[in-house]
Amino acid sequence: MPEQSQDEQSLAEINKSLYREGMTDGLPVIPPTEERVDEMLRGTDKSPDHIVGRLGNNENPLTIERLAANAVMAGCMPTYMPVLEAGVRALADPNSNSIQFSVSTGSWAYQWIVNGPVREKLGIESGSGAFGPSFHANQTIARALGMAYRNTAKIYPGEKDMGVMGNPAKFSMLAGENEEASPWEPYHVTHGYDEDESTISLAGPNSWVQWFPSQNTGEHVLRGMIENTPTSMRANSGEDLNVTITHAINPYNAEELEKEGLSKDEIKQYIVENSYYKTNEYVRSFGDDEKVPPRQVQQYGDVDAVKIATIGGPGRVNAIFGSSIGGPVTKKIEFPDNWESLLEEYSIEENWVPTEGFYE
Amino acid sequence: MGLVTPGSDTGNVDQKPLVPRVDTLAGKTIGLYDNGKPAAEPLLTAVQEKLEDRYPDATFSWYHVEHLNQIKNDDEQEAVVEWAEGVDTAIGAIGDCGSCTKFLAWGVELIEDAGTPGVGLIDEGFELDYQSNAIERGRPLRYKKTPVRCETTDLDRIREEVSEDVMDGIEDELTRQLNDKERAEPVAQ
Repeated sequence: MPEQSQDEQSLAEINKSLYREGMTDGLPVIPPTEERVDEMLRGTDKSPDHIVGRLGNNENPLTIERLAANAVMAGCMPTYMPVLEAGVRALADPNSNSIQFSVSTGSWAYQWIVNGPVREKLGIESGSGAFGPSFHANQTIARALGMAYRNTAKIYPGEKDMGVMGNPAKFSMLAGENEEASPWEPYHVTHGYDEDESTISLAGPNSWVQWFPSQNTGEHVLRGMIENTPTSMRANSGEDLNVTITHAINPYNAEELEKEGLSKDEIKQYIVENSYYKTNEYVRSFGDDEKVPPRQVQQYGDVDAVKIATIGGPGRVNAIFGSSIGGPVTKKIEFPDNWESLLEEYSIEENWVPTEGFYE
Repeated sequence: MGLVTPGSDTGNVDQKPLVPRVDTLAGKTIGLYDNGKPAAEPLLTAVQEKLEDRYPDATFSWYHVEHLNQIKNDDEQEAVVEWAEGVDTAIGAIGDCGSCTKFLAWGVELIEDAGTPGVGLIDEGFELDYQSNAIERGRPLRYKKTPVRCETTDLDRIREEVSEDVMDGIEDELTRQLNDKERAEPVAQ
């Protein structure tokens, strides 16, 4: 066995120690040394003791410094701090229902959709493979927010986080919306923000299904959005529990829908009016034995329970995320004064496709 | 190499004493607190039937949280306290999932806030969850594990599973005098 340097030994010991204290997601982390945390704090104008949000049962405070420590552990760059701060504000918003979906047996994941110019500035992927591995910002921002929630709220699997199966996407489900390839207004504009603002949106689905239409026509896409939604996914907006389903439509199929002259609102209306599940799946609730079961039940209670975003790259595969019992909530990302110079300092150029440029 | 801790510092909560138990259920008004989970009402119904057999002179008062999440609202919390002030002792149900176990602990904590001794009924798989949430709320709340599996709403099945042994256990939690830890004056955990 080769000899380890002091730094390597220290790295291993610190990782072991942080794992033992329940501070990690089980994967190796970068130790949050004071020096690294100080560097991370370059990404914010706020003081280290500024409370970004209060999380969990007892509304434990998450300060900028502690958020930066989680960001270091997750592998973030200082330029990601503005996105992380907005993400924490989303988690702390009572409408996110993070206090419930973080601990529920349903193993709900934190699903993040980023909109606006920040996507390009930070390299947040919205095209091919956006929800998958490989993209530094997508992966590390989601990871940092997941660990920050757990470490602040102090919830652990089998203790307060009672997710039966767990969810491999819990700390990694983040993508940008492919606004440039979308025929519709961006997701954040639909939810009240200006197009040139940058936002992060949080929802809490526990599953997703990928599907493709039998033909590339608007009608087939529309039918596919209904037929491929499992009947176990049901949605109904409401004050006590806001349950939603998000349809991520690839740019090609979004274009097919737009060619039919369908707006996002019209698509939602069609889905609500035409989505039902069979009565033989109807589950009687306690005390309604006397009622005659309906022949069919609406899968979506209302139009607000349907969300649509254009995500992904070339191809005709779409995705359905649901049911979400968290949010959705959207928060504006605010940038520090030194934002532009930080971007120059911390940019990463991807140079990983060997054949790119071969034909030029 | 100095590290900045990524966790919050506020994990330790001062623990308040439990409300003293009643010495018997005979002649008492027993509160039945339904936290809004579908399995809560049938379980409490079966428990009420068996308590009625044991204590014909006991009376019962129900509180239904219409939807599980409403316990997060100040109005609902005040209403629970007001209701609990009108009963001698109370049984809450059900802790059979992550969020409902948490919210059951919140409900039983409110019952104790009202000066009424309370006990939560939980699926045995959620014991640590109930304990952690209780401690985090600031009281070592009592509970009784039942063999009724989570999400069970079949009343006949529940009637069978809530055996006389289970009822003995519930009654014990409702009447057994507090131990030193449960009686403790506020101390840091």
